[in-house]
Amino acid sequence: MNRTQSLRQDVRDQDGRRRDGRGAAAPRPRPGADRDSAYWWEAVGEGRFLVQYCADCRTPRFPAREVCAVCLSLEWEWREGTGTGTVDGWTVTRRTFHPAFEAPYTVLRVALDDGPALYCWGRLVGADPGDLRRGQPVEAVFTDTGPAPGAGAPTGGGAFTKVVDWRPRE
Amino acid sequence: MAGTGLSGAASLAGVGTTPFSRDSGISTTALACRAVLTALDDAGLGIGDVDGIATHRVGDSSPPWVVGPALGITDPAWHLDQFGGGGVSHAVIGQAALAVAAGIADVVVCYRAINARSEFRMGGQGRAPAGAFDLQYQAPYGLLAPVQHYAVPARAHMQAYGTTHEHLGAIAVRQRANAAANPRALKRDPITLDDYLASPWVSEPFRLLDCCLETDGACALVVTSAERARDLRRPPVDIAAAAWAGGHSTYSPPAPGGLGDDLTTSSAARLAPRLYAMAGLGPDDVDLAELYDCFTWTVVVQLEDYGFCRKGEGGPFAASEALGIGGELPVNTHGGFLSEGYVHGINHVAEAVGQLRGDAGPRQVDGAEVALSTGQPGYVLAGTSALLLTAGR
Repeated sequence: MNRTQSLRQDVRDQDGRRRDGRGAAAPRPRPGADRDSAYWWEAVGEGRFLVQYCADCRTPRFPAREVCAVCLSLEWEWREGTGTGTVDGWTVTRRTFHPAFEAPYTVLRVALDDGPALYCWGRLVGADPGDLRRGQPVEAVFTDTGPAPGAGAPTGGGAFTKVVDWRPRE
Repeated sequence: MAGTGLSGAASLAGVGTTPFSRDSGISTTALACRAVLTALDDAGLGIGDVDGIATHRVGDSSPPWVVGPALGITDPAWHLDQFGGGGVSHAVIGQAALAVAAGIADVVVCYRAINARSEFRMGGQGRAPAGAFDLQYQAPYGLLAPVQHYAVPARAHMQAYGTTHEHLGAIAVRQRANAAANPRALKRDPITLDDYLASPWVSEPFRLLDCCLETDGACALVVTSAERARDLRRPPVDIAAAAWAGGHSTYSPPAPGGLGDDLTTSSAARLAPRLYAMAGLGPDDVDLAELYDCFTWTVVVQLEDYGFCRKGEGGPFAASEALGIGGELPVNTHGGFLSEGYVHGINHVAEAVGQLRGDAGPRQVDGAEVALSTGQPGYVLAGTSALLLTAGR
């Protein structure tokens, strides 16, 4: 398994309950990949952080799109991303909005190191949000999402088995 | 200064609101019908005069093809069922003005009707999150509610420019004071900065008193030609300009240097030059501003991006006396969404019309001739829209 698994913020058993016994958390919502993004999410499910590049002008883009907004090329390629970036913004949520996400928790907007204007989101793990600063280096970790919400719920063709979170980088 | 484009072609001839509450006890269809009938009565028009009907919604309200027939409007010459939230709230009225200016419709009723506390809460509250398009990259992390979406740029602005909690608090305190003079407002009891600082965190940097009020209610406005508006019951309010702008990509903008690079500047920075140019007016001409205040901080960023102060100075400016009734730029004179209630944008337009007619009673801005009213500045369900309104002569 991935070297970062031990840093997962909310470890759950197969019934979606927290292993620390703090009550029954609901399964994480899985909003469903679309036909542009399914490949990216499936790679995340394998613990890989991919970045899409235009095959013609080489501009990286996120999230996945069929068309390059710079040169309008329809050709693209996937490359292994750095999996690193810097903190651009964040919020510490102090009220529970969904039973799968028990407050408090911190969500970051991360500027990826792979390009000059690429942003990704994820939760802060393994650090105190009180120490966050804009520009702080972070790296991706992969968090299991636990069981699917239920039969018939959209899962994006197997996507969302893992999601990307972030921890401070030394 | 002469306007261009749509300037001066259409006017707002009637306004209607229902009571605002936390539980209306009636359907959004009923709310919409009541607001539309009140607005038509205000204008001195009847259902038989209406040939256009428009709204915006996010799957939470009754559409024109239900509200129209419910009122006996079965064959409108023009209609609009706009998807979207506060970013398109002012676009609906702008589009109605376009329909009138093009001669497609003569009298358009625009409404927004929501039971945003008793039926459909914007934060979801356990409802499965919409996974559509880019939200799929946020929902899996628990970034689900508007308060969280706006907290991130607010935090970035505080880090970049030193905007403080006290600056945000001053907005909440002032708007509550304004609401005290507004019988329609849901919250009229004064609050202090200490009350603000003691209110519980929701999603940092926002406390409960940074947030607008989840509200049940409806507003409607009657749009007609400037010419016809002058023959109706009430003083006309002219649409001096309507403008639109694309929204903020929170992911990868098409090119480095795009707006998505910097959360601390909103889409209003791109809309404002178009809006002012169409009206032939500038920020110095604006007598009052109703700025979209889903959260306190959106007032700060719009003060900057609509050109009322320099970038980064929105916090201190928002906290100054300039924004009070009687100040150089009264803002959210009705208490805004923070204290009057949240009808997803349109109640800002209703207040601006009241001010320009001189109907605002104890909160009336002296000599109000030009009002800015704005939609959500493009951060969520991206896109923004705004109106510049002038007192008709």
